[in-house]
Amino acid sequence: MTGAVIEQRTPTIGEALRRIRQEAATYNGVWSWLATVDHKRIGLMYGATAFVFFLIGGVEALIIRLQLARPESSFVDADAYNRLFTMHGTTMIFLVIMPLAVAFFNLLVPLMIGARDVAFPRLNAFSYWLFLSGGLLMTASFFTGNPGGSIFDGKLGAPDGGWFGYAPLTLNQFSAGTGIDYWAFGLLILGIASMAGGFNFVVTIINMRAPGMTMFKMPLFVWMTLVTSFLIIFAMPVITVALFQLLFDRLFGGVFFSVAAGGTPLLWQHMFWLFGHPEVYILILPAMGIVSEILPTFSRKPLFGYPFIVFSGIAIAFMSWGVWAHHMYTTGLGTTANAAFGISTILIAVPTGIKIFNWLGTMWGGSIRINTPMLFALGFIAMFTIGGLTGMLHSMVPSDFQQQDTYFVVAHLHQVLIGGALFGLFGGIYYWFPKFSGKLLNEKWGQLHFWTMFIGFNVTFQPMMILGLLGMPRRISSYSDGMGWGLWNMMATAGAFLIAFSIVVFMVNVVISLRSKEKAGADPWDGRTLEWAIPSPPPAYNFAEIPQVKALDDFWHTKYVESETGVPVPVVAGGAYGDDHDSGEGLGIHLPSPSILPLIAALGPAIMAAGFIYYDNPWLLPLIPVGVVITLVGVFGWALEPATE
Amino acid sequence: MNVRRVRQLAGVAIAVAFAALLAGCGAFGGDQNTFNPGGDVAERQRDLFILVLIPATVILILVSAAILYIVVRFRRRSDDEMPVQVHGNMRLEIAWTIAPLILLAFIAVPTVDGIFDLGRDARDDALHVRVVAFQWDWRFEYLDPEYADADGNPMTAEELFIPVDREVGIELSSLDVIHSFWVPKLAGKLDVIPGRTNRMWFNATEAGVYPGQCAEFCGIGHAGMKFDVIAVEPAEFDAWALEQLASP
Repeated sequence: MTGAVIEQRTPTIGEALRRIRQEAATYNGVWSWLATVDHKRIGLMYGATAFVFFLIGGVEALIIRLQLARPESSFVDADAYNRLFTMHGTTMIFLVIMPLAVAFFNLLVPLMIGARDVAFPRLNAFSYWLFLSGGLLMTASFFTGNPGGSIFDGKLGAPDGGWFGYAPLTLNQFSAGTGIDYWAFGLLILGIASMAGGFNFVVTIINMRAPGMTMFKMPLFVWMTLVTSFLIIFAMPVITVALFQLLFDRLFGGVFFSVAAGGTPLLWQHMFWLFGHPEVYILILPAMGIVSEILPTFSRKPLFGYPFIVFSGIAIAFMSWGVWAHHMYTTGLGTTANAAFGISTILIAVPTGIKIFNWLGTMWGGSIRINTPMLFALGFIAMFTIGGLTGMLHSMVPSDFQQQDTYFVVAHLHQVLIGGALFGLFGGIYYWFPKFSGKLLNEKWGQLHFWTMFIGFNVTFQPMMILGLLGMPRRISSYSDGMGWGLWNMMATAGAFLIAFSIVVFMVNVVISLRSKEKAGADPWDGRTLEWAIPSPPPAYNFAEIPQVKALDDFWHTKYVESETGVPVPVVAGGAYGDDHDSGEGLGIHLPSPSILPLIAALGPAIMAAGFIYYDNPWLLPLIPVGVVITLVGVFGWALEPATE
Repeated sequence: MNVRRVRQLAGVAIAVAFAALLAGCGAFGGDQNTFNPGGDVAERQRDLFILVLIPATVILILVSAAILYIVVRFRRRSDDEMPVQVHGNMRLEIAWTIAPLILLAFIAVPTVDGIFDLGRDARDDALHVRVVAFQWDWRFEYLDPEYADADGNPMTAEELFIPVDREVGIELSSLDVIHSFWVPKLAGKLDVIPGRTNRMWFNATEAGVYPGQCAEFCGIGHAGMKFDVIAVEPAEFDAWALEQLASP
């Protein structure tokens, strides 16, 4: 026993870290998740976290809909209502749709380009942990953000400025309490996470493609990831500056937006929408990429007009920088500016239309099989078309003076973000679920999910278009009986609960599918891209041998050759890139070692933010240096630690 | 059913649905129905909306019909069925780039026209009113000299009285945060931004009470920040103004 006591001396930090790395490298247990740098695991964590936030944002939406179901309702009071819709918008955009897209970037990009991981695996882990801490920080505002007391006094504390937080309503004078501070710091931290991810994917896609995969042999989803990453890199700094200005005003008496001191409220709107409109395309382009992968597979045809879809995506990204003031037609920018931004907005319909026509062209003449992923892709095309066309209606400046800030806008943006982005993302979940779990999602439950969600979506949001035309402004917590809005609001509420039901169906589907014994196999859909060439779920090292790429849809071409009439003929014993190996060890594959340091470095910013939010409290002020030290320790350790052991 | 008959039926269905939609929106009533305009500005805005709504609806129907048609016609009939691999078609790409451009050009002309027509300054002979917005109410100040009291202060009112068929020139002023001045049946909204003065004009062609409300989220009282525009015959308006000026 004495000998054992001697061996139990406290390990040095270095030894402890090494032990964590060894344990994590076994791919078992909690440490292997906390210290993982594997893009597939990080992708799964992104997806799971985003889904939890999706449930939170969904509950917020249901409360909003319950409040609005009847005129003169008092289900929640105006203060709580304002906080709920602010958090609903912020959560769904920054904590659900963006990270869900990033989950797909992580899961798919290395597999689709034939790489073993992303360019900077530890930076990737850092992005995820920063995203999680930013999201938790923002959500924590529910507890203490209200000037009237904490949640235990029945006071909801979340920010109350709306998701685009127009100054000067967000200044101390008009929004006491710390809700807006949590919101601003949370967004800052999420911005860093997104930027780190953006750089990571740009470098990965440019540098790490398998030999032979030229840019124009990349799957379309990879293209859209690249374009989205560039948008993130350029858009995030803009909102970062705006948030710093807001925090200067709130915490240190700055006067960027305070009119009494000579500030300009409109500055915020220009900054926010200069970020905000590219952000719209950050949300939709990944879904377009997903749909561009699903349609060819289920039509057994290559993507129609591949270069045109690529270039229209790039064109949309460029044009997204020139339309921000269409969110500001009614701020009095003057006729010249309104005309210029009206026309630039009209023009963005052209590349969007090109995409829709090419998707239809992809299906035309194909051999179409309707499984759940395809249903969601088709739903995406139809609903996104409505989103695009209502966008065109908004570009008509004079008539938009009527629709601006009404439920017509609410309907339009949900048409794009649910009917567009979320349908695309759900299609992606159904499509790639077997790749990462080894099990297909159940088809019957999947169809039930799609149809209830599709019907629920239309019952919720098409009545909102009518509400907008009937003059119902957005963001009102109640309305009087005589306006003729009751019926449509009741419909919208019923639809919202149908959507909620469809999400329950989805969750049941995930559970029963994971418990099913049936294996999906490597290539359940007769896929076209490289990820289908390797086992499901993929081994840690992805590809035993890095593939030599010869064509677009290279994997498909190992399975089929085209006959003289252009009809594919199966290749005997095709569809394999070499033998499967159980472990990368024997192949001499060096994977980056796990590391706990990205997690440690990511804890710092949220702690610093808490110190700033409560900087007038001498007991909490020291959180600022504590956070700084934790971040520095994490980053230094990370720099000194060898990448592989 | 042969193809022609299907086409005819589809055409009739589209026309009926569309007529029902437009008639419906007007018939739903409601005091803030933008499809029941009571003035020239709102009417022009509605007409422009419908002008674009028609091609938009046609495009939506065509795309939806194309999806359904493709899915049915090209459904997979056997597992080993393999379609001809088509990679693209340059002519089609050019066509569906240019066709929308032409359509959009037709849309852009009335848009720009409307922007400059409706965005002009109010005429000199208009009734000039300053709208003061604050959390969470409105005040209306009549700026023309004939409505000033002995000290030169403008006549003020809690609701906006206007004479029918006379242009009203509005200047917007906020005392605190951003609000938005909106009377759906008379004109689209314009934001009331602290530190700047936005201007607009509108008129009422029919007498009546036109409810308006703040359209930019402005805090706890946002939903209740309402007012009425009360359009009356000119004689009645003059009588009302006299009465206002007489009362201290």
